[in-house]
Formats: sequence, C-alpha cells, structure tokens
Amino acid sequence: MIRLENIWKQFSGKQVLRGVSFDVRDKETLVVLGKSGGGKSVLLKMIIGLIKPDSGAIVVDGKDVTKMSYPELRALRFKFGFLFQGAALFDSMTVGENIALSLRRHTGYSNEEITERIEYALSIVGLENVTRVMPSSLSGGMKKRVGLARAIALTPRYVLYDEPTTGLDMETADGINLLINDLRTLLGVTSIVVTHDIHSAFVVGDRFAILDQGVTLMTGTREEIQNSDNEEVRKYINSAIG
Amino acid sequence: MAESTVSISESSTSPFALFTLLGKAGNRFFGTLGGYGNVVWWMLRNARDARTYSRNIFQQMVQIGVDSIPIVIFVSTFVGMVTAVQSAYQLYDWIPRNVVGSLVIKSVLLELTPLLTALVLAGKVGATITAELGTMRVTEQIDALEALAFDPISFLITPRVLAGVVMFPVLIVFGDVVAAIGGLLGSVFVANISPEAFINGMKDSFEVYDAVFGIIKATMFGFMITSIACYQGFHVEGGSEGVGKATMNTVVLTCLAVVVMDFVLASVLL
Repeated sequence: MIRLENIWKQFSGKQVLRGVSFDVRDKETLVVLGKSGGGKSVLLKMIIGLIKPDSGAIVVDGKDVTKMSYPELRALRFKFGFLFQGAALFDSMTVGENIALSLRRHTGYSNEEITERIEYALSIVGLENVTRVMPSSLSGGMKKRVGLARAIALTPRYVLYDEPTTGLDMETADGINLLINDLRTLLGVTSIVVTHDIHSAFVVGDRFAILDQGVTLMTGTREEIQNSDNEEVRKYINSAIG
Repeated sequence: MAESTVSISESSTSPFALFTLLGKAGNRFFGTLGGYGNVVWWMLRNARDARTYSRNIFQQMVQIGVDSIPIVIFVSTFVGMVTAVQSAYQLYDWIPRNVVGSLVIKSVLLELTPLLTALVLAGKVGATITAELGTMRVTEQIDALEALAFDPISFLITPRVLAGVVMFPVLIVFGDVVAAIGGLLGSVFVANISPEAFINGMKDSFEVYDAVFGIIKATMFGFMITSIACYQGFHVEGGSEGVGKATMNTVVLTCLAVVVMDFVLASVLL
C-alpha cells in the first residue's frame, strides 16, 4: 500500500504542491488526473525517492520514503517499475540491452536466463524480434512498450506510469491502455497512472485522484467523481471531457 | 505587497545592488563548488562498487583516448614544428644550432604538449561528455537509471573520470613523441638545421623528470576535464538550451581549470 500525506513542494520559489494526500490500495490502479504542469509527475518521482518533498510523508509498505537512507531507497526501487513519459530508453543500448541492464546488475541470472526474461518481458508488451534494434529506430508507441518491458523485467510489485498515452495517436494509445489493464491481470501489480487524458483514465482506472492548483480536489471511483457535487471537480471533468 | 517588496530588494538602481549581485554570484559559485565536491566525494566513496562501472570503462577509454589520437597527432606535430622554427629564429647566429633541439624537447615535455593537448581535449572530450550526460538528464535517462536501482554516479561518471585519468597521460606521452618528430621536421626543412645537431641537442637536455612532470600534469588535467564535464552534464536543467549552456560552461571552465592547475603544478613541482 502507498500513502501520500500532506505533500508540499516548491521549485524556484513556485509552490507546485500544497498538501497533496491520497492512498493507493493493493492491486488497484489509481489514476492521478490534473492539468499539465501541475506536479503530477513530480509526485511519481517522489514515491521512489528521486525528488524529496519539502514536507509531508510518503509511506510505502509501512515505511516513510522521505526518511529513507540511500541504500534503503535503492532497495525500495526494486519493488517499482517506472514508465517515463518519453520512455527514457538508454539510446546507446539496443532494446535487449535496455531490458538486460538491471537483470545483469541485480540478479544472478545466467545469460540464457536473461535472454529468456527479455523475451518474456517483450512478449507481455506484445513485441518480438526487436532485441537487437536501437531505440532510435522505434515508433513512439513501441518505445513505450519497450519502456514498460524494462520496467517489469524485475517483476515489480508496483508500476508507475507517467503520461503513458501522451504523444500517441488514438489507436496506439488504446493499445497502451489495454496493456496497462493486461499487466494488472497478468502480474497482479498495483499501479499509479498519471495523466491529463481523461478518456485513458476511465479505461484503466479503478479510482481517481484529481489534482488542481497543487491540492487534491477529490479521490473516488468513476461514479463518485462523475456525480460529485464539488463545483471544481465538475468543472474539471467537463473541461477534460471537452 | 509581496511583489513590490521583491522588486525593491532587487532594484538595480539601489546603491547596494552591487552587494546583492555579489551575494548571488557568491552563492552560485560556492553552490557549484559544493555540488562538484559532492559528486567527486560520492565517486570516491563508491569506488568499491566496481561491478557498476567496470563494464563501461573500456568503452570510455576508446572514446576518450583512441578517438582523440588524430587530433593529438595534428596538434603535436605543429607544436613541435612551430617551437623549432621560432627557436631557430630567435637564436639565429647567437648560439650553437643544437640548442634548438634542447629548447624543443624541454618546452614540449614540460609545457607545450601537456597544456595545448589538454586545451584541445577540454573542447573535444569535455564537450562530448557534457552533451552526452546532459541529453541523458533532459530525456530522463538518468532518472530511469535511478529508478532501476542504479547509482548513476558510479555508472556514468566514475568510468569517464577513470578513463580520463588513464588515457590523458597516454595521449600526452604519445603527443610528446610526435611533437619531437615535428620539431625535427621543422628544424631540418624550414630552419636548415642538420638532423644530427637537432637530435644531439635533444639528447643533451633530455631529463626523465621532465617527462614524469608532463605525465603528472596530464593525469591532473584528465581528472579535472572529465570530472568538471561530468558534473556539468549531470546537472543540466532546462532542455536542449540547458545542454548547450552546460556544454559551453564546460569548455570555459575546463580551460580555466587547466591553466590554473598548470601554474600550480609548475610552482609546486619544478
């Protein structure tokens, strides 16, 4: 379980987060909705300790991430897979090397086992025969799939998705949404999806947290947020649906 | 109210504006120095984590060392030739011609090859490292490494700095030899000095310590250039514009660091 309690953060004097709180239950997919530039991606990076909040607590499996030492943070990161907005594939390595990197460093697998793990991870995201391809030769959707294969290579408990469908055409975005749902079914992972795309959010999410002006406007199921009496929530949903 | 307070405190017409500017510049300078120190300290502290960085060392040695050989040959040849021709011109008819050989070998080993090669490599190697790491930073590849439980300093910075410390002395010893050959060519074909006179002059003045001094300088330059370049690239902010700015900063800072270090080492070791 992940719990964020009253998170505050400012960058260069600009207050981005002003007391964000929500929790993520085991094996659910929580979607964090909000406008671009509202600090949603920052929240994801805070959960694995890449960015430290100015105040507040982030509790993962009972331990506060903000108080962890560096070795504890590294150990925590084994529990997480992270799909970055632009996939963040290492462009000097092939697809296979991207996925193999953490397997070689953090496991005692033999070369054959690593090859099997790479093929397995790629098959889950619906790719084959791309292990020797350089990331620069891949389309946006394929990059995201490879990024996801890399994220799940160490069989994480939690998967964090940063704008998984941004920059993709509708068909490819739908494919990624289905993949997020498949991963939850196949691997039983708990997921947090950060997006401003409400259509994708409704496809993948069990519950939703809406951020606005650095605060949590509301958390709840699709029905709860759609039937909310909160004026700000209604305004956000209406503008997001367009 | 808050906005007007900010604008008054930062007003450039205030008689104290200079102090504000100095304060900001000082903050930035010491902040950068502290950040650089942290990176170097972290790198040394995790030096035992060889499993993380050993894989990349060979590749970096090729990129920093082998790929720089053509430019080192070019620069060193001309350094040797120019030193020989100018020495011959300045000493014309005053003293024996073999002195040109002595001057060339002394100048090349002690100063010219290490300094000029380091300045050229500050541009080539330093800019490459900063652009590479800076691009990794803005495309979130460094965040991705951390998310995969890697120590990015051990993985990215340590192999580059180690490769610089190993390859710079090799390049500069190589450059010394090439510069001596360049000096011989310049003496024979431009200054009309016999090869025997030039070589005898070199032999008379050659001291092993001069070469050792050049190697010590090269090691220090290798460390300074690669570590500053890595620090700049690792801390890039603001997209492609930030990468460009950091790359320019690297070239300027590494050149300054090289000339200052050159003076310090000469003062201490000679």
